[in-house]
Amino acid sequence: MKTSPATIRVVIWGAGKGGTALLELFTRSPEVQVVGIADSNPEAPGLRLARNLGIHTTTDGLALLAEDRADLIVDVTGDPAIRSALLQHKPDRAEILGGTSALLIWKLAQYEQDLRDQLIQSEKLASIGTLASGIAHEINNPLYAITGLAEHLQDETRLEVIQEFVGEIIAAGRRIAAIVQGLNAFARGTQEEEASDVNLNQTLDEAVKMARRAVVLDQVQVVTQFDSVPTVRGKANELLQVFVNLVTNAVQAMEGQGTLTLSTASTNGFVQATVRDSGPGIPRNNLGRIFDPFFTTKEQGKGTGLGLHIVRDIVSHYGGQVTVESTLGQGAAFTVRLPVSSQ
Amino acid sequence: MPWGLHTKDTPGNGRIMIVDDEENVRKVLRLALTKASYDVVEAEHGGEGIKMIGSDDNALMMDVILCDIRMPKINGLEAIAFFQQQYPSVPIVVITGYPDQKMATDLLSRGVFDYLVKPVDKDKLLGTVKAAMEKRLALRHEA
Repeated sequence: MKTSPATIRVVIWGAGKGGTALLELFTRSPEVQVVGIADSNPEAPGLRLARNLGIHTTTDGLALLAEDRADLIVDVTGDPAIRSALLQHKPDRAEILGGTSALLIWKLAQYEQDLRDQLIQSEKLASIGTLASGIAHEINNPLYAITGLAEHLQDETRLEVIQEFVGEIIAAGRRIAAIVQGLNAFARGTQEEEASDVNLNQTLDEAVKMARRAVVLDQVQVVTQFDSVPTVRGKANELLQVFVNLVTNAVQAMEGQGTLTLSTASTNGFVQATVRDSGPGIPRNNLGRIFDPFFTTKEQGKGTGLGLHIVRDIVSHYGGQVTVESTLGQGAAFTVRLPVSSQ
Repeated sequence: MPWGLHTKDTPGNGRIMIVDDEENVRKVLRLALTKASYDVVEAEHGGEGIKMIGSDDNALMMDVILCDIRMPKINGLEAIAFFQQQYPSVPIVVITGYPDQKMATDLLSRGVFDYLVKPVDKDKLLGTVKAAMEKRLALRHEA
């Protein structure tokens, strides 16, 4: 990370809920550099997240202080013994933020986290609005099979025909159930979801299935070039949203016709997943703005302008990066890089 | 101008072409229509429908077309434009899983006979097809 004189270097003590929320907040802020995080429990969630982000972690906080790299020590342990140890051993120039001040920062961090969750959720609901036409189509077909076949059963007496129709009615009902289930899982908020090890090849496959509801893929050739990649750490549903957004955008950019190439590879501790379309490409003066919130080139009512912003937000939340490459007339490629899950 | 087979003197109620990619849906339509004494021809997508109606085989002339919108390869909108241009006397009834007010208005103003949303009640379906068939006969008379 680049540092400038304005950068505040921070050490966090305590990697439970509060420490983790602060770590997430600080790592998203370019002016704050977290130089280390300490907790007596090596499996504390904040330590795990920090390891994923490549941030120094330790169970020996005093050793971290001895390195004397911090401008600010944020103590969210609430432990008086740690507070007095900190006062005794802290480097001269480092300030300590503890007690109620640390609690205040933690509350603000949590508030920010809630806002972020709400933003993700509302964007997801908006994209479900786009999915609605596809869902209606997908559900109304088997529904028609059910009502139509049942109408015929009303005056059918031949047992073998009845059995055949009933079998088809059951199959159509199950198809509807599967559609609703998939949709429910996607619509669910991710606040309660636990992070897990996610295989991006599967996520990309699922994203194409989901995007099929928002956009017509029948005239799009979907090419997959999947390497057998290691897992990445994250909430499966958030990562799915990243790729649903990218795939939907890609197909819309091609106006439903062309080649959609999905590829994965692993490099230097990162998994890389690319969504490439063969559309018209992105004009150079838009390239710098496409991740900005509310920036959209879609006609009114078609896009929220939040899709790519959310993509970048989720990806950077997990210590990753999203980049775009595009040449006018030759399509665009969005590449998401996420750190491999730590063992 | 190709004509359908059906006249007041031919047996049955006329020939309907169903264009829909869903096998289940075609089956339900086929059951209802054959029971009501229509002759039924099926196409899995717009392209197949275009091929069928255009094949120079008199046995495949259609009286009414029932057409889905969202289909692979050639979709309903493209197929309907073709049918209307080439066979203006064959009424087209759209039957879709996607209720879209704007599209319905557009299609109706462009001369599509009716716009039905799945699931369609059997009586509604047969009533619409019957009315479309009457229009077909009237158009043939004028010609």
